[in-house]
Amino acid sequence: MDNPRQLLKRYFLRHRWSYALSILSIVASEIVMVQFPHLLGAFTDALQAGRVNGPALLRYTLWLAAVGIGYVALYGFGQMRNGTLGRKFEYELRRTLFLHWETLSTSYFRQRSVGDLLNHALNDVRSVRDALSGGLNILTNAVFLLASTLVMTFRTVSVRLTLVSMIPIVVVPFLVGWLGPRIRQATRQAQEALSDMADLTEESITAIRLIKATANEAVEQRRFTDRVDAIVRRQMGVFRRSALMQSLIPFMGSLAFVVALTYGGYLTITRQIPLGAFVAFTLYLAMLITPLQEMGFVFNYFQRASASLQRLEVLLTEMPDIHDERDAVALPPVRGEVRIRLNAFTYPDGTRPALHDVDIRVEAGKTLGIVGRTGSGKTTLVNLLPRIFDPPPGTVFIDGHDVRSVTLRSLRQAISYVPQDGFLFSTTIGENIGFSKEGATEAEILEAARLAAFDEVIETFPEGLDTVVGERGVTLSGGQRQRAAIARALLKDAPILILDDSLSAVDMNTEKTIIANLQRARRGRTTIVIAHRLSAVRHADHIVVLDRGTVVEAGTHEELIRRGGLYAEIYRLQETEQGVTA
Amino acid sequence: MNSLLRLLPYARPYVWHFAGVIVLVLLYNGTSVLQPYLVKIAIDEDITGPHPSVHGLFVIAGLYLGVSLVGLVANYTQVQVLQYAGQSVIRKIRVALFTHIERQSMRFFDTNAVGRLVTNVSSDTETVSQFFTNFFLSMVRDGLSLVLIIAAMYRLDVRIATYSMVLLPILFGISLVFRRRLRERYQATRTRLSNIIAFLAENLAGMRIIQIFHQEQRQARAFGELNDAHRQASVREYRLSVMFNRTFELLGNVAVAAVVWVGGWAVLRHAIPFGTLYAFITYIRQFFQPINSITQQWNTLQSTIVAADRIGKVLAVEPDVRDPEDPVDLTARGPIRGEVAFEHVSFAYIPGRTVLHDVSFRVPAGSFVGFVGATGAGKSSLMSLLTRFYDPQEGQITIDGVDIRRLRLEDLHRVIGLVQQEVHLFTGTVADNIRLFREEISDEAVRAAARAVGADEVIERLPEGYQTRLFAKGANLSMGERQLIAFARIVALNPRVLILDEATANLDSKTEALVQRGLEAVAKNRTTLVIAHRLSTIRHADEIVVLDHGRIVETGTHEALLERGGLYAQLHRKSSVEAVG
Ligand SMILES: Nc1ncnc2c1ncn2[C@@H]1O[C@H](COP(=O)(O)OP(=O)(O)OP(=O)(O)O)[C@@H](O)[C@H]1O
Ligand SMILES: Nc1ncnc2c1ncn2[C@@H]1O[C@H](COP(=O)(O)OP(=O)(O)OP(=O)(O)O)[C@@H](O)[C@H]1O
Ligand SMILES: [Mg+2]
Ligand SMILES: [Mg+2]
Repeated sequence: MDNPRQLLKRYFLRHRWSYALSILSIVASEIVMVQFPHLLGAFTDALQAGRVNGPALLRYTLWLAAVGIGYVALYGFGQMRNGTLGRKFEYELRRTLFLHWETLSTSYFRQRSVGDLLNHALNDVRSVRDALSGGLNILTNAVFLLASTLVMTFRTVSVRLTLVSMIPIVVVPFLVGWLGPRIRQATRQAQEALSDMADLTEESITAIRLIKATANEAVEQRRFTDRVDAIVRRQMGVFRRSALMQSLIPFMGSLAFVVALTYGGYLTITRQIPLGAFVAFTLYLAMLITPLQEMGFVFNYFQRASASLQRLEVLLTEMPDIHDERDAVALPPVRGEVRIRLNAFTYPDGTRPALHDVDIRVEAGKTLGIVGRTGSGKTTLVNLLPRIFDPPPGTVFIDGHDVRSVTLRSLRQAISYVPQDGFLFSTTIGENIGFSKEGATEAEILEAARLAAFDEVIETFPEGLDTVVGERGVTLSGGQRQRAAIARALLKDAPILILDDSLSAVDMNTEKTIIANLQRARRGRTTIVIAHRLSAVRHADHIVVLDRGTVVEAGTHEELIRRGGLYAEIYRLQETEQGVTA
Repeated sequence: MNSLLRLLPYARPYVWHFAGVIVLVLLYNGTSVLQPYLVKIAIDEDITGPHPSVHGLFVIAGLYLGVSLVGLVANYTQVQVLQYAGQSVIRKIRVALFTHIERQSMRFFDTNAVGRLVTNVSSDTETVSQFFTNFFLSMVRDGLSLVLIIAAMYRLDVRIATYSMVLLPILFGISLVFRRRLRERYQATRTRLSNIIAFLAENLAGMRIIQIFHQEQRQARAFGELNDAHRQASVREYRLSVMFNRTFELLGNVAVAAVVWVGGWAVLRHAIPFGTLYAFITYIRQFFQPINSITQQWNTLQSTIVAADRIGKVLAVEPDVRDPEDPVDLTARGPIRGEVAFEHVSFAYIPGRTVLHDVSFRVPAGSFVGFVGATGAGKSSLMSLLTRFYDPQEGQITIDGVDIRRLRLEDLHRVIGLVQQEVHLFTGTVADNIRLFREEISDEAVRAAARAVGADEVIERLPEGYQTRLFAKGANLSMGERQLIAFARIVALNPRVLILDEATANLDSKTEALVQRGLEAVAKNRTTLVIAHRLSTIRHADEIVVLDHGRIVETGTHEALLERGGLYAQLHRKSSVEAVG
């Protein structure tokens, strides 16, 4: 993916004429502005010499007004253009970020917290924009002033005096080179501290029920306060360095002045240069202080932006680890035969295989049930099908096609999936169900809801499908949320359907209804059902039992009961009276 | 503006810092005034004076150097002090805001998106901090210059100075004209930015769903719209603020031309001496320098007001569930028994849509009561009332005979423990997640708790055991494993009354049995309320409460209810693995 520095460079190149124009107009405005003191000088001279009459006075006034207006117009024009361009870059950067995030896989998002990512999209992007829009104007301004003042000094006074006085100023680039990286480093740390706080806030608020139910507010406050204290510390670290830069650069100007005063004064006293030249020189030197101050300020700006760019770079150069292989082809129309022949699968960050020696075959149009102990690898197994995690090549096949050799899009189009934690968006019920199929009609949505035994619930809501469900569906009950997720998957009507423990939160009546509906609606299409309640897999054509990452038993319900293994044991716990004790 | 003023008390402890900043600014400005003065002395006395002296020149240069150093130190210290004060104020506001948010009842969280609250805490506060740093500094520095210049003008010529003061109402008028629109535009930008944030927060969390249903393009389009809307608003806001600042600059330049015109005539008519005109031209130009930088800060002020409003809105919400005035101390009355009773409780999340109707039941201390019923029957709502996530509209809930509204929330939550189907895990180690970052729970206690519910086996399998860092929200654990951590957590806390809201739904029956035995072993005679759809989980309950559409329809033991042949018997029939359709 694009590295943001490249992005910035290309953006500059693409808009080079626009930038040239706006910088030109700022420079032009400065040139116009230089006329202002000249005009005033000419006016006062003329007035003092008694050369001014009514029309001349009017002329001077109009000229002054014209210069004033011209400056404001030209500078304002450049400023607006730079600001607009900076905002456009901000827009493009955010878009790039989002598009990039969309390509990254689940294993990436597992390691990042939303708060941190938000901070990137928000603060880092903004500090780059600020440097681009505001910083650029000030820099142009300062460079121009500095250059023009320097030119004037060289023109008016002895070159030797100028050169000697400039020695302290020469230190400025070194100062910037020395302090700059330190400021950048400190800024990055401060931004990380901010991210940390945002993270904790997000996590805390998301888990507010838990925090309240355990009376853990005070502990959370302490953790939050620690983060906020860290921010204060880190920010002060930034200010210690940036204030140094901001005050040392103008101080170099003052030093130059001291040199000019001693050396220039000495030259004047010994009559080597005329007094007028000396006075003019000191005046010009004084004019250097302001642009130097501005530069100190602007360099800080740029260091901050540069730190942000670095952070964004880390983000944007992250390669999507799950993507189309180079010679990937689209999956032809799918019948739904699934074949898994896996030696071992280890999570990218895992130490031991989560799955090993798995050999499963589901004929097209059949239903596969998967049961097994907690953490036995059921979710892992089905995640390999739509390539939420990538299986090793040559291990997972759909209709005989290796899932690694087909395009992600066609693969995912063929699979509908209800994850174990059915995530809902904070929109309406209708939009949530319709999410899986763009442009779904209301009738289709209602039909999907009916299959998920969700239609009656929807009818009880006054706003029906337009009921807003709150963040992650908080205003729905657990079972309602689960059914919304099921309806969403059913609307897609894909050749392969995966239900990962998706009936765990519904009551027995509803479970039975949904299973009956599924059997009818999905006749002739492949369905994979993971469940802990055996009643949900009992009807499956084939059931596999997982334990510690491998298939320990397989067969139909009856066969498995007869076998007297793990399945039979679970059956006994759920069916017979001596089952679960309390 | 009011909202900003309401944040001022947070700055109170730092008044001395702010006073110090004023002193340092004065000092720094003093050094800047002194520098040209020193040069003047050098020229007048040592260079052009009757006795030009290189030695005297060096002395002056040394003085100049000293003054510059003082200026350097003053400026540096000023930045440190000001930023420290600013950061500290923000720190206080942040902590207050966070504390306030945490105190809110669940209703607040039902309606406020997490993403928005996070920006309130992180970025709105950041914006407000500029009020205490940049804005304050500008007021001091530029205000000071302005006062000095006006004083100088009056010393020069009272009449002309008074004429010049017509500028003030004009300046003021312009600010007023721009003020409302500036703020509106700023607000528009901010609102659209927070739409972007809310969208991102949600979509990043649900990225897997987007990818599974390959809706990347659709979401990218939706994001594009929000992003574009923000850009437009932002450009519009920027244009206006540039316009505003440039208007002032324009006014300044035109004012100089006007002074030249008016003053020029006066000089021509010999009404004023030339020197006065010259000085006035200089002053008018200087007059606009602080004015211009104040107008820059005017933009900052508008944005801080908007941010302060957003913070103020959150701070203004009073939690509708809060501690009583004179709380009852449960522990003072002897050991807590853990008897729970609901008396004629009715409850609606949204007025008019009653979720629970006149619910009454009693859970004797130390008993095990199961709750079953169709999804959406109101079981979880019942438990939300018991934990006071919400307060019922009618009826009361008691623990050991005390209305829970008379208890401090903290005390209540120490008595009642809740395990839900969704498990929340924090970034941090497994051990920290079990002890919930409480220092008083030792590593040993953590291990014991994990062992009790059979979670230790799972944890020991992890790369670094108890010290393994969990990913955000525990994403590297299976659903059931997360659930086990939640159980270990509750064992470590060991509440008198335990609510399990489908807490074992993601566990296989074998693990479930282990967990239940573990919970049992840790605390004898604990009152346990269990919601379950898997009937085997509650078959042995002392009593089973059956809910339907927010009403209790049956109660009794498993056998009694089966005999009755009602809803429970029906659910039981269906729950049989062998049952068909
Ligand atoms: N992202 C991950 N990185 C490393 N290990 C993981 C990751 N996700 C899961 N695991 C581990 O892989 C094993 C299998 O997990 P999986 O989620 O497949 O279990 P499961 O059978 O679905 O269990 P449950 O019934 O509890 O949902 C577990 O031991 C889990 O800790
Ligand atoms: N925060 C909320 N705001 C508004 N309505 C809500 C909220 N939480 C739940 N409801 C509604 O209240 C009703 C009862 O919900 P509750 O969660 O108590 O059901 P439940 O019996 O626990 O169901 P399940 O078995 O599916 O978990 C449902 O219709 C639900 O939509
Ligand atoms: Mg799972
Ligand atoms: Mg519930």
